[in-house]
Amino acid sequence: MSRNEDKGLFPSLWDSLSSLRLTIALLIILSVASIFGTVIPQNASPEEYLQVYKITTYKILRILGFLDMYHAGWFILLLALLCLNLIACSLKRFRTTLRFFTPELRLDDGQWKTYSPGQKFTQNGLPAQMLPGIRETLSRSFSPPRVVEASPAFHLFAEKGMFSRLGVYFIHLSVLVILGGSLIGSFYGFRGNVNIIEGQEADQVILRNGEHIHLPGFNVSLEKFSVSFYPTGAPKEFKSILTIREGGRKVLTESILVNHPLTYKGISFYQSSYGIAGVERVILNIKDRESGKEVSLSAMMGNLTEIPGALSAFSLSHFLPDFQGMGPAFQVIFSEPNQPQQKFLILQNHPEFEEKRPGRYRFMIKEIEPRYYSGLQVTKDPGVWVVWAGCFIMIAGFYMTFLMSHRRVWIRLTEKGAETFIEIAGSSHRDRTGFEKEFQKIGQALNDSPMGLKEVKESEGHS
Amino acid sequence: MISAKMVSSVTFLYLACTVLYFNYFAFRSERLGKFATGLSWITLLLHTAAILWRWVESYQLGIGRAPLTNMYESLVFFSWCIALLYLLWERKIKSRIIGAFAMPFAFLFIAYASLAPGISDRIDPLIPALQSNWLHAHVITCFLGYAAFAISCGVSIMYLIKIRKKEQGKKESGWTALFPPLESLDDLIYKTIAVGFPMLTIGIITGAAWANYAWGSYWSWDPKETWSLITWFVYALFLHARFTREWRGKRAAFISIIGFVAVIFTYFGVNYLLAGLHSYV
Ligand code: HEM
Repeated sequence: MSRNEDKGLFPSLWDSLSSLRLTIALLIILSVASIFGTVIPQNASPEEYLQVYKITTYKILRILGFLDMYHAGWFILLLALLCLNLIACSLKRFRTTLRFFTPELRLDDGQWKTYSPGQKFTQNGLPAQMLPGIRETLSRSFSPPRVVEASPAFHLFAEKGMFSRLGVYFIHLSVLVILGGSLIGSFYGFRGNVNIIEGQEADQVILRNGEHIHLPGFNVSLEKFSVSFYPTGAPKEFKSILTIREGGRKVLTESILVNHPLTYKGISFYQSSYGIAGVERVILNIKDRESGKEVSLSAMMGNLTEIPGALSAFSLSHFLPDFQGMGPAFQVIFSEPNQPQQKFLILQNHPEFEEKRPGRYRFMIKEIEPRYYSGLQVTKDPGVWVVWAGCFIMIAGFYMTFLMSHRRVWIRLTEKGAETFIEIAGSSHRDRTGFEKEFQKIGQALNDSPMGLKEVKESEGHS
Repeated sequence: MISAKMVSSVTFLYLACTVLYFNYFAFRSERLGKFATGLSWITLLLHTAAILWRWVESYQLGIGRAPLTNMYESLVFFSWCIALLYLLWERKIKSRIIGAFAMPFAFLFIAYASLAPGISDRIDPLIPALQSNWLHAHVITCFLGYAAFAISCGVSIMYLIKIRKKEQGKKESGWTALFPPLESLDDLIYKTIAVGFPMLTIGIITGAAWANYAWGSYWSWDPKETWSLITWFVYALFLHARFTREWRGKRAAFISIIGFVAVIFTYFGVNYLLAGLHSYV
């Protein structure tokens, strides 16, 4: 209360910081800003922007931080303000919530009215005689009560689900925890890529900004990459077999798939792309035009391969993945005894060119065995567990907030001459209709109890 | 495929349910109402069978995957969630009055799945990025959330129609007189969102967990992720608006409708209008 008095700048700043109106404003601003972030492409190259925007528009957007909006100072400031708002609001409200932890064991007459009294009963005898039975009934039908024995009235108080009042604090705390976890990740983690060719190894990764980072004390090599396809031609599985070596010693070998990464020393490797780095081996059909015989043989790139039963030999000297739009091609260096060396191209998808080329042998490519490279996403994020913890707290908070409720029941035993009046009241801080039923059941339990209470109808009830 | 034919018949049944709920509403006939409810449960049952049968068919094709992964399947599932949540609610609140505003959503989405050109009902095998159990948790929670929001949007429309009549000083007459009182509608809007919001939250979290497994990053601000966050902000706004005097009631109902517009945009708009990682669903 003292905070609300006008004490210059400070209290009013506090009031604004802890107001729900600020929350509403921030949520609206954040939503609208995020919409811009999805409409304006983020982190694209200047050329891409200039295709869409005029140069002045581009410059303005860049200065305002709209091109990398979610990392722009003002966006982060908005998030920080949301956090401050959340903390301030929670602190302000916490005292009110704390009140419920020291329960009101008895209600005064005014409260008694507001907490919707339920049924009333009478019984001959003193409150002290009634107490054990009523306590027992309430324990059974709701929850064990606490008792205040004071003449002329005894009070019983029982409650359930008090923790649900803390649910909102858990939700709000979780927002802070999640943002905190993401901050840890952005300060102490990294995200990079590395392409490794089959049979080769890597000990550093390239970050988004082009910087190189060394893997801490180990390297990773690609033993083998494989890709399989569905009959439709859609990819079915990408798989890289990786080996981690530390100081030259093999530590582990594991295969990674999309959705199945490998983590070593806090650094995770994800299968993200692949490609063809070159050719290892080619299977060829070679036809001798003179004899009409055809042989199939496999040639390693760059090695001299002899044609069986002849004195000729050839080597595949270059691989052209796509020669003038006509598909894969190889340069062949061919030598025969007493002849000058010949160089020519053979195309996998156009065998008809070979038919036209003069010479004794005709080369047909049957199969190219590519050498793959595997594109790995490499990340380190020590904050990710904090983020998951935050998510868990948030879900727990939702459970407490939306599925539990703080329900309280009071029973008052008032001595009236030789009789005792028994009244019950109850309140729930949410799900009133659900509580209504529970409350009626408590009344029913008292009615049905073997104490033989007589129900007092509303018209004849006392105040 | 049999399952696609079942979905087409279910679509017409939802239309029939919608018409019945409207008639119940117009003629206040208890018998019509019971009929509407009964037919809706039967439709839901057939709908469930269609989804399960599609699952079986995927095994017959040698693919074997849950029917939750492309636009067609997600629309069919979305419609199923709306019908299920609505019918459960109907049982709980013991009133059929919002059926006329909830069932049309179930009908519209399944109709879109079976009638819109360009939405294929083929069962394709899963590309590697989709081969994850997180996918199922993600899709189920998101769509349960979306379904709760659809119902909340329907109730919000009722609220706004009713309060408009009231503000114009007209006597409560005709069909708005049949609407539940404003407070009950307001309470229903809140309760549906209190279901939808945690579901959406879990949907976003499971999506993040999945992205973390597939790409090594739980959040990368791609348009679909960002739009789901925008939707989340809008419903957070709704929940907080109720605690302030000036944002309660009519404005809150508006926020709930805007929230559902955001849901629809997250679902369709992002695919058709913006590019991103999620373009497959
Ligand atoms: C984006 C982050 C936020 C989320 C997800 C969130 C979530 C929630 C939820 C789910 C509730 C419960 C609503 C209900 O009981 O119907 C709530 C209540 C509340 N929130 Fe937030 N909130 C957020 C940010 C904030 C901020 C920044 C403030 C700062 C003022 C705030 C203040 C409150 C207050 C005062 C309540 C009411 C608590 C009560 O008396 O029951 N929230 N919030």
